[in-house]
Amino acid sequence: MLSRRGFLAATAASLSLPSSAHAEQGLKLAFIPQENPDKLLGDIRAITEWLSDQMGLPVSGFVTFDHAAAVEALRNGDADISFMGALPFVLAEAEIGAVPLLAEVYRGAASYSGRVFVRRDSGIRTLADLKGRDIAFADPISESGYLYPLDLFVKDGLIASPDQADSFFGNKFFAGGYQQAMQAMATGLVDAAGASQYADLLLTPDQQSEVTWIAESEQIPSHVVIARDGLDGATQARFVEVMLSLNGAENDHLRAYMYGPDGYVTTDASTYDGVRATARRYGYLK
Amino acid sequence: MKRLLTLFALCLAPTVGFATAVKQAPWAPEAAAYRLTLFMGNLSPAPWSQIEDSWEDPVAGASHAAAALSRLSPDLQVELRAALDSKDRQEIFEAATAAIHQGILSHLAAAAEALSTAEATLDVGQAQALYRAFEDGIKAADAQAYRRLGLAWLQMNSALGSKGVLGSGAQDVDAESFNAARATIEAYLNANYAPVDFAIRAKLSPIPESAILSGQVVDLPATLPPGSNIADQSPLPRLVLQFEEAGIDEADMPLVAYGDMLFDSPEIFGGPARELGITCSTCHNRSDVNRGFFIPGLSHVAGGLDVNSAFFNPLFNNQMDDPLDTPSLRGIRFTAPYGRDGREASLRRFTRNVIVTEFAGDEPTPFQLDALIAYMRAFDFLPNPQIDRAGLLTDLVSDAARRGEILFNAPYDGMNGRSCASCHTPDRNFRDGQAYDIGSEAPPFPGGTARAFDTPTLRSVNFSAPYMHDGSLPTLAAVVDWFNDSKSLALDADQRADLTAYVRAVGDGEDPYQVFEGKESQFRLAFDELTTFATTLNTLLPARDAENIALLVATVAPDLAADAGTMVNLEARPEVYQLADTLSAVGAAAAAGDWNLAETYWQDFQTLQIQIDERMF
Repeated sequence: MLSRRGFLAATAASLSLPSSAHAEQGLKLAFIPQENPDKLLGDIRAITEWLSDQMGLPVSGFVTFDHAAAVEALRNGDADISFMGALPFVLAEAEIGAVPLLAEVYRGAASYSGRVFVRRDSGIRTLADLKGRDIAFADPISESGYLYPLDLFVKDGLIASPDQADSFFGNKFFAGGYQQAMQAMATGLVDAAGASQYADLLLTPDQQSEVTWIAESEQIPSHVVIARDGLDGATQARFVEVMLSLNGAENDHLRAYMYGPDGYVTTDASTYDGVRATARRYGYLK
Repeated sequence: MKRLLTLFALCLAPTVGFATAVKQAPWAPEAAAYRLTLFMGNLSPAPWSQIEDSWEDPVAGASHAAAALSRLSPDLQVELRAALDSKDRQEIFEAATAAIHQGILSHLAAAAEALSTAEATLDVGQAQALYRAFEDGIKAADAQAYRRLGLAWLQMNSALGSKGVLGSGAQDVDAESFNAARATIEAYLNANYAPVDFAIRAKLSPIPESAILSGQVVDLPATLPPGSNIADQSPLPRLVLQFEEAGIDEADMPLVAYGDMLFDSPEIFGGPARELGITCSTCHNRSDVNRGFFIPGLSHVAGGLDVNSAFFNPLFNNQMDDPLDTPSLRGIRFTAPYGRDGREASLRRFTRNVIVTEFAGDEPTPFQLDALIAYMRAFDFLPNPQIDRAGLLTDLVSDAARRGEILFNAPYDGMNGRSCASCHTPDRNFRDGQAYDIGSEAPPFPGGTARAFDTPTLRSVNFSAPYMHDGSLPTLAAVVDWFNDSKSLALDADQRADLTAYVRAVGDGEDPYQVFEGKESQFRLAFDELTTFATTLNTLLPARDAENIALLVATVAPDLAADAGTMVNLEARPEVYQLADTLSAVGAAAAAGDWNLAETYWQDFQTLQIQIDERMF
């Protein structure tokens, strides 16, 4: 079988590797693997070719292991631009001075929420009903798939801090993603799932009609495209201009190469004040 | 950290149960090849070359373009190649199952070795992606094991921990928990997917060995293999109903409305078609065709299907790999006889044949056939101002089309002095109601008699590519070329272009596709259709027609609920579910013979429909 190591070797062979000699290599984009890093590899090739053509300078891309590696690449100058969630962005901003450029738009909004989903026939109506019951979250560093849904239990006074989650729930799982968490709930493996407000759309139609949500978080800024500290303003502006030209149905296929948002809008640091506040409350930010 | 979700339901579950098709999440290449092998290995005759291709080449429906075979270890590659060469179903099944089993174990071992690194997470993800190849078999055969393994995967993912971001949000690795979960998964897979000797499979499936050996009857839901597409065509064809264009509301025509419902109902079919939610409209979208429809092993090109294969109705299997291009039903009342070979003069008898023989449905009642025919007879061609009622060109066409009209009507020696118009008769909707052997298919054996095929209409033909009975020609220009070559018409390039321009003028139509914008969403169209279907209760309830009410409710209620997932206004989904539940209550009361209660629920349905109407988009 192709191992992760093998995959990365293939990546290195077929895509531009990050290099400190970034000035000579044009613009370098870091992508975070989602469900399928192999597919992302092909997507990156397609979209960087398009971006190169539009921007008139070489654009290359590479897949990082995770957010931490992307932040590290930005810090080292191995990457100029990265796609990132709002929480890792505020951490990257604090740590390395990363700058937000663009926010993704889904269903007409550059924000979304986290929800706690249950089966309609479960008899569970409130967060308090979940005491001693099993819950699946997406993963530990997901805003909508962990931090914000868990924060709902704190705000309801059911737990004082995230540390107490293990004693409140029967079992708390990190399923590995929205879809896995929702499937675990829908098929009865667990009683509830914490996930994005749109995560039930990942279920089959019959499952969708069998689930509901009992609590919803405040709005979370959607995922963000960020630049490293020091990337020159002209390049930033040109990149933003080209990315905004992707808006519109005629470019659906191109946006699909970059996680498939409905479009992009410009964003600034103030958009993330709420995320910073939440991150501070949970000890993610000093 | 995960992305926001797209509009599409990308479901891991491989089944669909409603007329609303679910787009499957991409499969790992090896899992895709495995599922293709199971599906095509059960066809008769088995398409060996396609089975081999599913391992040798990247396949549609896989998560990325990689040949499954190339991702196996050298030993497994050798075993699988030998099995594929043998063309022995059981041997291929065993080798393919071993490939998936070994793949899962290999990734789990790699994850164990790399615990506390990001690689471990990716390896577990890949192991789970391969496990998906077996998952529905385990679920159907052994609910307890399915739950036990499901919890083990959850436990394993949790045990991987997280480094967080820049040190924040880190979770410790729990090696003990990981190993326990791994042991649970491996023990089950070793026992059920790597036995010393596999029992002989009468039918290839992912059902675990223990269930096969026990002889238990396993109700494994029908599935389609990766790369299948039974979702509606996009863009959706425009439906032209004669009465509707004349300003008559379908809700005032209960027989037609019921026929429309039956056209969209998997309940009239049997076997896999019913389980998969396949309906008349799955292939004949909005009276036209679904040019995206494709099932590996049963379709040669998109828009075609082998309707007499081993899959939908084994009793009707003709033991030939002979998919047909799905014909458009536009103007069907004017295009008898029916079937590509024109074997049936009666649309009613042909429709019965589709339901019972091709898709294994129960014998439809006379009322149901009356309703279906009443609906289908309302299908018209797309309006086309480029031709008049006699099929002659109007002033709106190009000079090329005018030159082409002369060529279309000219006699050709290669066609025994006949012209194109001899068969595609302009004043008979460009068909003649006859079947001909034009040399498009070889005889069944040397010296045998080749099949003849019905002259297809050219009305609205621009929107139903590909062409010929088997969909072998992608464009109208290719059709013209084919006739020019095979019938020695001696047309030069300019003449062929003119003839093509003429056919395209004749085959054109206004507004060929449905346009959705704002609140006029695809869901709104479905909502209007489904609630129109429901209006037939105004006729069926007073008639105390429990049978047809049951069929109506079984079709409309789950479709309403399923379509809610496609809403633009997602917040209104609970109201759609409530409406669907109310309709189900009508059905339950009618089935129990409580007609007063059924009437009450029907009133509730109509009241609720009015209340929520504004939000239904």
